[in-house]
Amino acid sequence: MIQVRDLKKHFKVHKRPPGLAAALRSVVHRTYTTVKAVDGVSFTIERGERVGFLGPTGAGKTTTLKVLSGLLHPTAGEVSVAEHRPQKRAAAFLRQITLVMGQKQQLIWDLPPAETWSLNRAVFGVAPAEFDRTLAELTELLDLKELSQKPTRQLSLGERMKCELAAALLHKPTTLFLDEPTIGLDVAMQVTIREFIREYNQRHDATVMLTSHYMDDVVALCPRVIVIDGGRLIHDGDLRALVKSMMPDKRVSFAGAMAADVIERLGRLVTQDSARTTIEVPEDRLREVIGHLLAGEGIGDLAIEDPPLEDVMRKLFKSKTADAS
Amino acid sequence: MTVGGLGYYVRLLGVSIRTSLITSMQYRVDFVIQGVMSLLWTALAIFPLLVLYGDRTSVAGWDFGSALVVMGLFTIMRGVLEGAINPSLLAVVERIRSGSFDYTLLKPADAQFLVSTTRFDPWHVTDLLAGIGIIVYAFVEMGRAPGAGELAAALALVAAAVAVMYSLWILIVASAFWVVRMDNLSFLLGAVFDAARWPIHVFRGTWRFVFTFIIPLALMTSFPAMALLGTLSLRTALLSLAGSAAFFMVSRTVWTLAIRSYTSASS
Amino acid sequence: MPTMLRVGLAETIAYRAEMIVWILTTTMPLVMLSLWTSVADEAPFRAYTQADFVAYYLGALIVRNLTSNWVAWQIAEEIRMGTLSMRLLRPVHPFASFLATHLAALPLRLVVITPVVGILFLTAARDVVIDDPARIGLFVLAMAGAWLLTFAVFLAIGSLSFFLEKSMSLVEVYFGLFMLMSGYLIPIDLMPPWMATAAEWLPFRYMLGAPVEILIGRYPDAAAVAPVVARTWAWAAVMVAAAAVSWRAGVRRFEAYGA
Repeated sequence: MIQVRDLKKHFKVHKRPPGLAAALRSVVHRTYTTVKAVDGVSFTIERGERVGFLGPTGAGKTTTLKVLSGLLHPTAGEVSVAEHRPQKRAAAFLRQITLVMGQKQQLIWDLPPAETWSLNRAVFGVAPAEFDRTLAELTELLDLKELSQKPTRQLSLGERMKCELAAALLHKPTTLFLDEPTIGLDVAMQVTIREFIREYNQRHDATVMLTSHYMDDVVALCPRVIVIDGGRLIHDGDLRALVKSMMPDKRVSFAGAMAADVIERLGRLVTQDSARTTIEVPEDRLREVIGHLLAGEGIGDLAIEDPPLEDVMRKLFKSKTADAS
Repeated sequence: MTVGGLGYYVRLLGVSIRTSLITSMQYRVDFVIQGVMSLLWTALAIFPLLVLYGDRTSVAGWDFGSALVVMGLFTIMRGVLEGAINPSLLAVVERIRSGSFDYTLLKPADAQFLVSTTRFDPWHVTDLLAGIGIIVYAFVEMGRAPGAGELAAALALVAAAVAVMYSLWILIVASAFWVVRMDNLSFLLGAVFDAARWPIHVFRGTWRFVFTFIIPLALMTSFPAMALLGTLSLRTALLSLAGSAAFFMVSRTVWTLAIRSYTSASS
Repeated sequence: MPTMLRVGLAETIAYRAEMIVWILTTTMPLVMLSLWTSVADEAPFRAYTQADFVAYYLGALIVRNLTSNWVAWQIAEEIRMGTLSMRLLRPVHPFASFLATHLAALPLRLVVITPVVGILFLTAARDVVIDDPARIGLFVLAMAGAWLLTFAVFLAIGSLSFFLEKSMSLVEVYFGLFMLMSGYLIPIDLMPPWMATAAEWLPFRYMLGAPVEILIGRYPDAAAVAPVVARTWAWAAVMVAAAAVSWRAGVRRFEAYGA
C-alpha cells in the first residue's frame, strides 16, 4: 500500500547566467530560484493495484517516484510505502520495493546479466533455493534463457530491458515503481514487457506504479490513472471515466467516399484521406449515424473506437493550463 | 539469509571480487601489459636512486638500502591504490554522472561499502610482487633481516597507510556529489602521491609539513619503512595509527553528509 | 583559420578549471627539485650546483607545460564515439583543426607558467639562465621544434587508435620511456654514459631535455647550440611524416569499417 499526503518536493536551483563576467560574479553572489517539482500531491494506492502515473515532461513524475522509493527526501508531507517511511531507506523497506528506470541501467556492461543477478542475490540476501526458483520463473516469463550468458554489451535494447527487469525483481519486491520501462523499444517488445508486468502483478499481488510516454502501455495495463501537471494532481481515478468525461464522443471511421455536406450532418470530421474517413459522433447519436453509414453506397470497413488517450491527455493539460491563466 | 552483519559483508566482498576476476579474465592481454608496466615503472623509480647513490652514500640520513625499502613500500601502496581503490571510485564517479548511482542507493547494504567494492583490478598484483621483491632485495643488500616485532609493526602501519589512502580517495568521491567533474582531482592526488617514493626527510620546510600532516604521504611509505628498519619511535607509530583512525572517521562523516545532500537536493 | 583559433580558445576557456588542475598535476619536476636541492645542499652533485638544479627543474616545468598536449586522447575519444566522422566531413585537414585547438591553448598556458618564470628569476637560478640574444633566439627555435615534435608524436599515437582498442595504454608506455630518456626525471648529463648516448639518438631528449639544457647554459655558445636545434627539427619532420602516414592508413580503415 502506498499513502501520500500533501507531498511537496522543492529544489533550490542555482541560476547560472551566461557569459564569463556573469559567471565570475555568480561565484561571489549566487542567486537561487525555488523549483516546485511536486507541490502538494495526495493519493492512496492499495496493494495489488496497477496505476498509470501520467503528466507532461517536467510534471514531477520522476521526482515523485524517487521520493516514494527513498532516493529523495520530501520537503513536506507524509509518505508511507509498504508501511515504511521511504527516506529512512531501511533494509526491510528496500527489499520490498524496486525502481526500474528505462533510461538508466544497473547491469554490468562487460559481463553477462547472470553476474549482475548473482551480485544482487548477495546484496539482497536472497537464499540460493529461493533465488533459483525466482530466476526460473522470470526466465520462463521473459524468455531469458538465451540471454543470461551473453555479455550485456552484446544485447539489444529490448533484451537488455528484459534482463534489467529480472535484475530488479529477483528479490521479489511487492511494490514496483516503473519509470518509462518501455522507452525506445519496438512495439512487439513493448507488448512483451507489458504482458510480463501484468503477469507479475497478478502472480505476486504486487503494487505497480508506472509512467510511460506510450499511452498504449497505460491503456493496456492500468485501470486507474493518476495525472499530475506542474507538480499538482489534476486527476485520480478510473481511466475509462477520465476518457468519457474529457472526450465523450466516439470515433467512427470507414472506408469509401462521402460528400462533405453529408459528413457534416453526421458528426465532426477528424481526418480524411482518399482511403479512409474518421468522424467524431456523440454517443447518443451513434446508432443513427451507423445506420446511415451502413445504408450508404460503397461504404465499408466500419470501426467504432474511443478517442486515443494521447488526445485525451492533450485536451486535459490544455484545459488545466487555461484554468490557471 | 539476512541483510547486514559481518558475515553478510564478507559474502558481498567475495561476490564482488569474483565479479571483478571474471571481468578481468576477459582482458587477459591486460595481464601482460600490466606486468610490463609494473617492471617499467619500478625500473623508472629505481633509476634516480641508482644515480643518486652512485655518488653519495647517504642522503638526508637514508642510505641506499633503506631508501630502497621506501621505494618497495611505495610500489606496494601504488598497487593497492590502482588495484583496489581507484577502479571502484572511478566507476562510481561515472555512475554519479550517468545517474545510475540511484540503483546503488536502492540496495539494502551500506552505500559506502558498495561503492568501495564496485570493481577491483586484480592484475595489479604484479605491483605487490614487485614491491615485496624490492624490499627483500634491499634487506639482502644491507645484509640483515627485520625482526618479528618490526615486521608486525610495519604490517600495522601498512594497514593504517591503506586506511589513510582509502579515506583520501573517498573524500574525492564525496566531492563528486557537489562538483560533477572530479576525475582531474584524482589525477592531481595521484601525481602528488608520486612524491611518496622518497623518504620524507628528503623534503624540507613546507613540503615536509604538507606531506606529513595535510596529505600524509609520510604515513603511507616512510613510517612503515622506518618501522621495518627498526628506526621508528613508538610515539610516532602510535600517533600514526591514531591519526589514520581519525582520518577514516572524518572521511566517513563527510561521505554521510554527501549522501544526505544528494538525497535532499538532487533532481 | 582565425575562426578556428577563436573557437579553440573558447573551448580552452570553457575547460579552464580542468586545465589548471591538469597543469598542476605536472608536479614531478617540483618533487625532483626538492629532492636534488637537498642533496646538493652541502656540495654540488657532480657538475650541478643547487642553483643549477633549481634552474633545470623549473625549466623542465616550463617546457613541459608549454609543449604538452592532449591530442592523442582527443583522437581516441572521437574514434570511440564515432564523432570523428563529423571532423572528416569538414573541408579542412583534421590535423589543421587539431593544430588550431592546441595553438589556441598556448596563450593561457603562457599565463599559467608566468609565476614559474617569475620564481626562476627571483632565485639564484637567474645567474644560470642564458642572456645572450643568439642563444635566446636559438632557444625559441628549439622550443618551437619541441612543441611540434611532441604534437606529432601524439598525433601518431592517437592515429594508432584506428588499429588498436587499447591504444591509450601505449601512451603509458610512451610516457615511461619519455620520463626516463627525455631528462624529465634526471638531467641527461647525470645519467650513466651509455644511457646519455642512447638519449642523444632517441627523439625524447629533443622534446624536453635539449631546450632546458640550452636555457640553463649547458652549451657554451650559439655554435654549440645550433646542431641540437637542427636535430630537433629533423626529428619533428620525421614524426610529422610518420603521423601523416599512419593517419592516412587509419582513416582509410575507419571509412571501410566505420566506428
